[in-house]
Amino acid sequence: MDELHVRLSRCFSAIFPSLSSERISKAQSSNVEGWDSVASVTLFAMIEEEFGIEIEVQDMEELLSFERLFGYLQQKLGQNR
Amino acid sequence: MKLIEALEILRREQPAQGQPLLVSLVSGFTPLHLQTFLAAQLRILFPDREVKLTPGLYGDFWGNLTRLEQANTDAGVIQLEWSDLDPRLGLRNLGSWAPRELEDILQMAKTRVSQFHEFLPRSSAHFPVVVCFPTLPFPPAAYTPAWQASAFELQLRECISSMHMSAVRLQNVRIVSSQQLERLSPLNSRLDVKSELASGFPYKLPHASTIAEIVARLIRQPTPKRGLITDLDDTLWSGILGEVGIDGVSWDLEHYSHMHGVYQRLLHALSEAGVLLGVASKNDPGFVRKALQRKDLVLPGSCIFPLEAHWGPKSESVGRILKTWNIGADAIVFVDDSPMELAEVKVAHPQVECILFPKEDPQAIDELLYRLRDLFGKNAVSREDAIRRESIRRFHELGDEDGRQAKTTADFLKQAEAELTLNSQKDPLDPRALELVNKTNQFNLNGKRYADASWLNYIRQPDTLLLMASYRDKYGPLGKIAVLAGRKEGHALHVNVWVMSCRAFSRAIEHRCIEELFERHGIEEIVFDFGATPKNGPIQEFLAEILGDSPAAQCRLSRNLFRERRVETFHKVLELTNG
Repeated sequence: MDELHVRLSRCFSAIFPSLSSERISKAQSSNVEGWDSVASVTLFAMIEEEFGIEIEVQDMEELLSFERLFGYLQQKLGQNR
Repeated sequence: MKLIEALEILRREQPAQGQPLLVSLVSGFTPLHLQTFLAAQLRILFPDREVKLTPGLYGDFWGNLTRLEQANTDAGVIQLEWSDLDPRLGLRNLGSWAPRELEDILQMAKTRVSQFHEFLPRSSAHFPVVVCFPTLPFPPAAYTPAWQASAFELQLRECISSMHMSAVRLQNVRIVSSQQLERLSPLNSRLDVKSELASGFPYKLPHASTIAEIVARLIRQPTPKRGLITDLDDTLWSGILGEVGIDGVSWDLEHYSHMHGVYQRLLHALSEAGVLLGVASKNDPGFVRKALQRKDLVLPGSCIFPLEAHWGPKSESVGRILKTWNIGADAIVFVDDSPMELAEVKVAHPQVECILFPKEDPQAIDELLYRLRDLFGKNAVSREDAIRRESIRRFHELGDEDGRQAKTTADFLKQAEAELTLNSQKDPLDPRALELVNKTNQFNLNGKRYADASWLNYIRQPDTLLLMASYRDKYGPLGKIAVLAGRKEGHALHVNVWVMSCRAFSRAIEHRCIEELFERHGIEEIVFDFGATPKNGPIQEFLAEILGDSPAAQCRLSRNLFRERRVETFHKVLELTNG
């Protein structure tokens, strides 16, 4: 598992402590209990702080799953391999 | 602290025992990450309590402030921003900034100031309240350019100053220092426009984290250090006394040694605020005594007691000073310009905070002054602070030639003309009582510490009895030195709190306090809520002596047993009736 995946998993784990590592990879707002608007705002703020990036407000609606956030970060950080 | 760290702290298992810590947060914005950071900081500072933070309603700062008075809480936090004075001063409101509207905004702000003056005293009567005044940049609402202060902005700042002044006069209110906030969180790094628009949370994360850290520290104020031991050469003054002579050491601009004078000024201020000052110096004692008599010293030599000047190890000097002051190593700071001396003291006294005096670096000395202020900072200076040094000096002079604590005899006590003044009033409650309870280690029944609100709750229970004792004798006053609190149940008094300052030892005050309890309350038995701590040996010894056995939890002392085992006392007892 690469470093980006580990770091993003840690963010998810901080906000959704009950999620197992397997479930984190498949997490999306529709299948995680407690993933509401406050959780989204906190998750985006944490990711911005952790990865030193800015997430555009208009992108946020599209980033409501681990997979999409992972892809977004790969693109932002130039790690798309 | 980063947001992920805060959440990870909050994820840790909550303590199973211990009372929850209830904190009410008043703000007009969504507290969101500020709430998370504050809860995490409080978890760190109160590891044995479950932290429960309650925010108010979004957009209703003044309603939240009004409701704070009724809150069942241990502390209140008020986070005011410009938009709470008038929504037009915030980003999310599009109300006019036209010049003709500014007067209206100002009038609204003045109305809010009056509300603040009215409600803050009411809330702070029940629990401590921390107030943080506007931290965000003032919006460009006035017609002047940013580099020119406008009358509008200055009048609004005057409103805030007026709120500051009314708040600072209230005993239970603590205000976030805007200067400290500025040092840690620069003004232009505070507002997060995107977050404010998207979620109603106006702070960048580092700013929210900084506010939370300061607020938490104001809720749980660290126990101030009580004594400072300083080196002399190249620390209190510039130069080596043995080399340049008494007139050769300096602390002035002319000799490029002014910062030593500034250091002396701070030590003098600390001394006048009740901090004990001692000297540990490797020097000729005769030389040192003469140098400390120099009239131009900014720190008068009389403020220093005791003086350890010789060629022996400094760790031994520190050990003797601690014994003379009768306080723990964790309550003192040692300042020296030599890393080697600091290391030697640290090995012998690991709990002493050892700080290097940066003699070659004026900027670093300036920073040291702030650090010392933080270590010794307190809310107020009491009468006891003013007399502490002298009472220790006198007590020491009454000791034997080795400087050991005087073993008091009945003959000595008989001629001491001792007066014990007892005060059982709970209203107004003297803040000295809680100060004594929370800082006394040795003669402390169980070592329990109290947060302000829980102390107020305990004392204000109708069945709680409080006794505070002040002492003086012909050698001088000791001030308020003992606190006793408990509850009467039938013919027994359950004592939950009993502390006595170490300066008051060997005067049979503890015997007289017990005697007064039996006489005043007509009880047959006292039940002590005793708990052994690593430091409360003196009260353990006293209880063992009076009970005839090692004390245990809920140990009992009957009136008859006390009569048999008490020592004779000679205090004249006075009752304080007017607070």
